[in-house]
Amino acid sequence: MLEIRNLTKRFGNVDAVRDVSISAPGGAFLVLLGPSGCGKTTLLRMLAGLELPSEGQIVFDGQTVSDGDRNWAVDPAKRNSGLVFQSYALWPHMSVRGNVDWPLKVMKMPKAARAERVDEVLKLLDIGQLAERYPNEISGGQQQRVAIARTIAPKPSVLLFDEPLSNLDAKLRVEMRTELMRLHRATGATTVYVTHDQIEAMTMATHVAVMNHGRVQQFGSPSDLVNHPKTAFVATFVGTPPNNMVPVVKNGSGYKVGGRHMPLTPPADDCMAMYRAEAMSLSESEGETTLAMELVETSAIAGRTMVTGLRDGLRLTAIVDAAPEAGIGDTIQFCLPPRPDSWFGPDGERIG
Amino acid sequence: MADTAMSGQGRRVFFRQGTVLKTVVLALLIAMIVLPLLRTVLFTLQPDTIRAWSDVLTGRLSTNLFYKPLGNTLLIGVVVSTGCVLLGGFLAWLVVMTNVPFRKTIGVMATLPFMIPSFAAALAWGSLFRNDRVGGQVGWLQGMGLDIPDWLAWGIVPTLIVLTLHYFSLAFTIIAAALATVNSDLVEAAQIAGARGRRILMGIVLPVTTPALVAAGSLCFAGAVSNFATPALLGLPVRMQTLSTRLFGMIEVGQVGRGYVIGIMLVLISGAFLWAGNRVVSGRRSYTTITGKGGRAKRFDLRRARWPLFGVAMIILLSSTVVPVIVLTASSLAPSSANLFSDWTLHYWMGRSDPSFAQGIPGIAHNEDIVRALTITLGLGLAVSFSGMFIGLLASYTTARFREGWMSAAITQISFLPLLVPGIAFGAAYIAYLGAPIGPFPALYGTFALLVIAATAYLLPFSVQTGRAVIQQVGGELEESARITGASFAHRLAAITVPLAIRGLAAGGILIFVKIIRDLSLVVLLFTPTMPVLSVVAYRYASEGFGQFANAITVVILFISIAATLIASRLQTKSQPWLQN
Repeated sequence: MLEIRNLTKRFGNVDAVRDVSISAPGGAFLVLLGPSGCGKTTLLRMLAGLELPSEGQIVFDGQTVSDGDRNWAVDPAKRNSGLVFQSYALWPHMSVRGNVDWPLKVMKMPKAARAERVDEVLKLLDIGQLAERYPNEISGGQQQRVAIARTIAPKPSVLLFDEPLSNLDAKLRVEMRTELMRLHRATGATTVYVTHDQIEAMTMATHVAVMNHGRVQQFGSPSDLVNHPKTAFVATFVGTPPNNMVPVVKNGSGYKVGGRHMPLTPPADDCMAMYRAEAMSLSESEGETTLAMELVETSAIAGRTMVTGLRDGLRLTAIVDAAPEAGIGDTIQFCLPPRPDSWFGPDGERIG
Repeated sequence: MADTAMSGQGRRVFFRQGTVLKTVVLALLIAMIVLPLLRTVLFTLQPDTIRAWSDVLTGRLSTNLFYKPLGNTLLIGVVVSTGCVLLGGFLAWLVVMTNVPFRKTIGVMATLPFMIPSFAAALAWGSLFRNDRVGGQVGWLQGMGLDIPDWLAWGIVPTLIVLTLHYFSLAFTIIAAALATVNSDLVEAAQIAGARGRRILMGIVLPVTTPALVAAGSLCFAGAVSNFATPALLGLPVRMQTLSTRLFGMIEVGQVGRGYVIGIMLVLISGAFLWAGNRVVSGRRSYTTITGKGGRAKRFDLRRARWPLFGVAMIILLSSTVVPVIVLTASSLAPSSANLFSDWTLHYWMGRSDPSFAQGIPGIAHNEDIVRALTITLGLGLAVSFSGMFIGLLASYTTARFREGWMSAAITQISFLPLLVPGIAFGAAYIAYLGAPIGPFPALYGTFALLVIAATAYLLPFSVQTGRAVIQQVGGELEESARITGASFAHRLAAITVPLAIRGLAAGGILIFVKIIRDLSLVVLLFTPTMPVLSVVAYRYASEGFGQFANAITVVILFISIAATLIASRLQTKSQPWLQN
């Protein structure tokens, strides 16, 4: 059980994390998802005990480990948690075995038990043959495995990852994703994982907290986020391809949708209409709900085609069965479905 | 089709790419560096000079000629390098890893002592601590009525102190740069593992910075054992000899063979230590930090020790920078160094010749010898900074562009060879090399050309390193994209490389200028009355008892050095990355 209560972190007068409250059951795979600078790494560092919260509490398994209101925190080493750094932070003067062994030595584990445990985790991560190498002698993916081995060796009950896959190439990233999920099942440790990659979040998480500007925009399961986005930010950040957000403005008695009058009845005068990419279509000619856009991208995805158009800063993406005949730079007609999937107010909150 | 169209445009490649350039650079380096050293060794192996080896190493005089100076030299090397690593490491730790007040000021001040010529500090020491042991003027403290014991006024103790206060800033620069690269993630990872202050220091921070500590130690060692000015000014009056003062003495009295043998031994000793230092840190463990965006750097909170530690740092820094400058300036104005701060006169600066004053020597502004020396010194500085940057850039370009082959490896190795050779030994080698006519070329002894060539060769490690940094800045791709357009080598250099690199080049040139105008050890043997340079003139005045003139000249050198250094560091804003947050 991992519980975060009203957590806030200020650096000077900047609020990096604002009033965050989340709780996830033991053994959960919690992903903190958000663009860079949204406060997710700061939140993770507070979980690790490297930063003291300005306000609020962190509770692991019923025990408070950080309390910003009392300026009190359990030492990073005594919270029974482990952190895998984005830079891996392997100690360059120690061999792979030395890196994994050292934290156990600091814990005063007896020598024989240590050797056994080191062998065990090296084997678990399939890097037993690299034990005597130094960090500079192994590849990036192998360094990543060493960093993970070092972190899980002391058997922490909470495992923390700071964008661990961002330094790997695309293929290795997919492999490591699977590997991390296997490891999560094998250790059963509650895992908190920071990333800006929504695909990682959607594939790995049991729980996702989408963050922006220091706040949690929405907390829920991956399918929740896709099916019921609570804010416009979540709607456009999550999902492949992302949802389309079209501004709707009252103009006289009717409404202008993406700059054109359309027969729609929005719940408010100024708002945004969300359309899923798979609900959009292309049209040969101008119609009642079409928008003319410049074709900027097409790409084949699983037997269908993703088409992206751009006009006056509005970007629309549709998934269609057949690729349009028009070339890049030509004008094509995007056809909106009669009713949007959701409505969002000007402040980004969902209104219908 | 394409083939036929292209075939008329093809061209046989006669040489592999870069062969011509590599040959030219290699030949140049061999002529400037390898031949002088080789010539020196060969000189001592001639039938009538080979006896010098046994005289120095096993003969009846060997104790005085070699072993006693060797003992002093090693003592200086060990004590000074230890002291420098401790002082420099302490200051680097304060500046890089803690929240000591005025970090940036400490950081800037800690790099200054190395800009001050080491004879300046030795002269300042004399002006303060001289006692009446060897006659002449006494220092200020003795003049104030304190009884300065001999061990504090002369010999090994003041030499050790002055050299440590000079070279620690070299250690500081190296260690601070290394500490700045210790990713704070490494320390945090250790914290999470449960390690505490001491354990993190011993288990992580020290091992990771070991290469820097060893490098700093061995460079300070090499610098200290080859330093000439300080032991000469503070030790020679009481007959304390080191290998470099012995070498100087032998050549001065015409025992050239013995001098060269001592020089060769000096090269071997400082070379052996640099090599050993390098061996310790190379090997399988590379200490370079792996990848990574470092986290927010967290500074170690000194709490109540903040101001006391700041005080300690300031005492070290003030006594190595501000105090010598004040003492030298005051002493160039005071008729008696026993009364540094009274009866000030500008005679030593701009007085006319007056038989009742300093044996009729006019002030330095009216002293023809000194004015001539100033002109020659500035000319030498300019000439060497141009020739040094030119050859340095050429050599580093060649090795960066054509990395493969033994020739590139040889160019790199040879260009760093002078690092192993103490300045005074290098000067001696150039006398052996160009002191006598070679074939149709006249002897260059006593000419400006000799000074320029020797100084250029001596400073090549530095200029090649600067050149390399500049080349890296410019980057291979920018130059290659110009090559694809068909521009010639000279054209590319003028249109792409030089404009991009001009700031770095200017900064490098200025630093070479500073290094040469404050150098004493290289030029002290190449000096002739027809070709005087400021530092040697100052040294001569000091050893003849005219301290005020020596100090006034030193103040001039100091002023030029510091002004030039400040200009260079403005040009080279990135030279101190550890000060940036």
